[in-house]
Amino acid sequence: MINLLALLVQRTKPMTLKQIRQDLVGQYPESDTAARAAFERDKGDLRALGIPIELITLGGDQAGEGAYRVDRKSFELGDLGLTDEERAALQLAMATVRVGASHGDEALWKLGGERALNAQSTSLNIQLDDELMTTLADGVVEHRTLTFSYKGETRNVDPYGLLARAGFWYLVGYDHLRTDRRTFRIDRIDGEISVGDRRSFNRPKDFDLQKAVPTEAELLAEGHGEDAVATVLVDASLASGVRTQFGKQSVVKEHADGGVEFAIPCANLTAFRVWLFAMVDHATVVGPPRVRKQVVTWLTEQAGGR
Amino acid sequence: MAMRKSRRGPRGAAERVEGLLVMLPWLISRKRVKLSDMAKQFKLSEKELMNDLMMAAMCGVPPYTPDALIDVFVDEGEVFAEVPLMFSRPLQLNSAELFALQAMGSAALSMPGADKKGPLASALKKLQPLLPKGDAVVEVDVKAVKFLVEAQHAVSAGQFVAIDYFSPISGSHSSRTIFPRAVFEQMGHWYVRADDDQSGDIRNFRIDRIQKFTPTGKTADPKIEGIEAEVDFFGTDMETATLMVRPAALRLVETYPYISREPQSDGSVKIEMAVGSELWLGRLLLRGGDAIDVLEPAKWVDLGVHTAQAVLKRYS
Repeated sequence: MINLLALLVQRTKPMTLKQIRQDLVGQYPESDTAARAAFERDKGDLRALGIPIELITLGGDQAGEGAYRVDRKSFELGDLGLTDEERAALQLAMATVRVGASHGDEALWKLGGERALNAQSTSLNIQLDDELMTTLADGVVEHRTLTFSYKGETRNVDPYGLLARAGFWYLVGYDHLRTDRRTFRIDRIDGEISVGDRRSFNRPKDFDLQKAVPTEAELLAEGHGEDAVATVLVDASLASGVRTQFGKQSVVKEHADGGVEFAIPCANLTAFRVWLFAMVDHATVVGPPRVRKQVVTWLTEQAGGR
Repeated sequence: MAMRKSRRGPRGAAERVEGLLVMLPWLISRKRVKLSDMAKQFKLSEKELMNDLMMAAMCGVPPYTPDALIDVFVDEGEVFAEVPLMFSRPLQLNSAELFALQAMGSAALSMPGADKKGPLASALKKLQPLLPKGDAVVEVDVKAVKFLVEAQHAVSAGQFVAIDYFSPISGSHSSRTIFPRAVFEQMGHWYVRADDDQSGDIRNFRIDRIQKFTPTGKTADPKIEGIEAEVDFFGTDMETATLMVRPAALRLVETYPYISREPQSDGSVKIEMAVGSELWLGRLLLRGGDAIDVLEPAKWVDLGVHTAQAVLKRYS
């Protein structure tokens, strides 16, 4: 296979299979049928590696005959002008951020870098396996529609982008079944994902991947509750986490014992309750009275048994 | 396009050729590399690498005279390569490789303390034109937490650190001295892995639960421990619970790892999961409300009720 590639790259003119067989003596079987089959296999393998073999129909004395050529520009990576410092930065980042699969290492090698072999003090895990990453990347990079089963339904989705957040991967795209934009958690996709043709859709120009998947704070604010904001007293032990999540501007009052009152969006009462009770008995709704009463009523129902 | 796709058994011809087309330009750009280093870099045994290089050395174009063969050879444990007529340039990056680079870049740049105008940012900018229409197809949100940068520094500097830690599993606070070995993110949370003086063991502490983080002034040689894969927080001796989860609470429950998942005809899902502690399960049941029932074990069937009663006391 390497010899075939070397030959087609080196020769400037397209070569017929007959010429290839003459030059690569002994590489292909003597029987025409077997030689054709072996050649097709090599051709397929090279194409799978991203090396396109062009078929040209000859004219003149060889009119109608097929000939093959490979343009090295079609498969070789051009010089990106990466400096040693930039290559080292990519290498360090790749060692720190574990994207899973082996695609990251392979990208580094192609860029002339090296896989870091020493232990890194920091690591971030956003792993996808080889096969899944290949499929999803083909979809989002090459604009191929993806088809998969999700919650028992077959979905055809034009994938606009993938977002990793809080330990999960999300696929955002146009869902042909719902005729609207939807978000899918990757680990909830059932079975295989099939990939459509290249360039089967255009991504909207105004698409913003970060904004497409709401954060927890945004989810709390997306609702029709009568009150938009609740004041929540959080014990000192958990206050710093809430401050990081909602920002300094959410602090209403700091208590002497380290407890902090925060202004938290609560228009989506269900989401608010789920957020609030993650702190169990380390947080209390102080107001407004209507929200506090709703929380107490709900707790009373739960405490009464089911 | 891994150097070793199949975990066991010999690699196929196509896999070996694929590997060579990546290794040759890499080698040519260096001209001379130790065989053992190169084998390690490409995740091959030295014998496998030797065989691949020998195969490459026999390849070329007719008339297969020495000047028409790929010029690569091994001498005294070192691999040498000269610039040949072909295979001096790497293959183009495929979609998955571009995706991996973009994901990694997005994550690394959003980490606390990242230099957003440094060499990584400029490298990613140079890669951007390789994407169709310059699309940003993948992004990674990295949560910022207090003491993350300090914990990273403690690992590399070999610092002993006094911490105040809140454990929701036990519902208790503790003060301990740790010697950090690694900082890692998993399932959206940052952890510091450290020698812990209180347990005499190596423990993983969630950084957002550290209340105080104070270097003691004592240092030792760093014991940096690479976290190669996802850390299994669920030991084999952990108790399990079987829950019936109705659709309203599926989104909540499914953010946690589970052992088994069995969809029911009414849209509910029967889920078996490892339980870190009774407090942890009580919290999950409280958050899920009447959309979660404990099926097994019997001792936790009313745990949600008891947890709600405890929280209700704060309002009385």
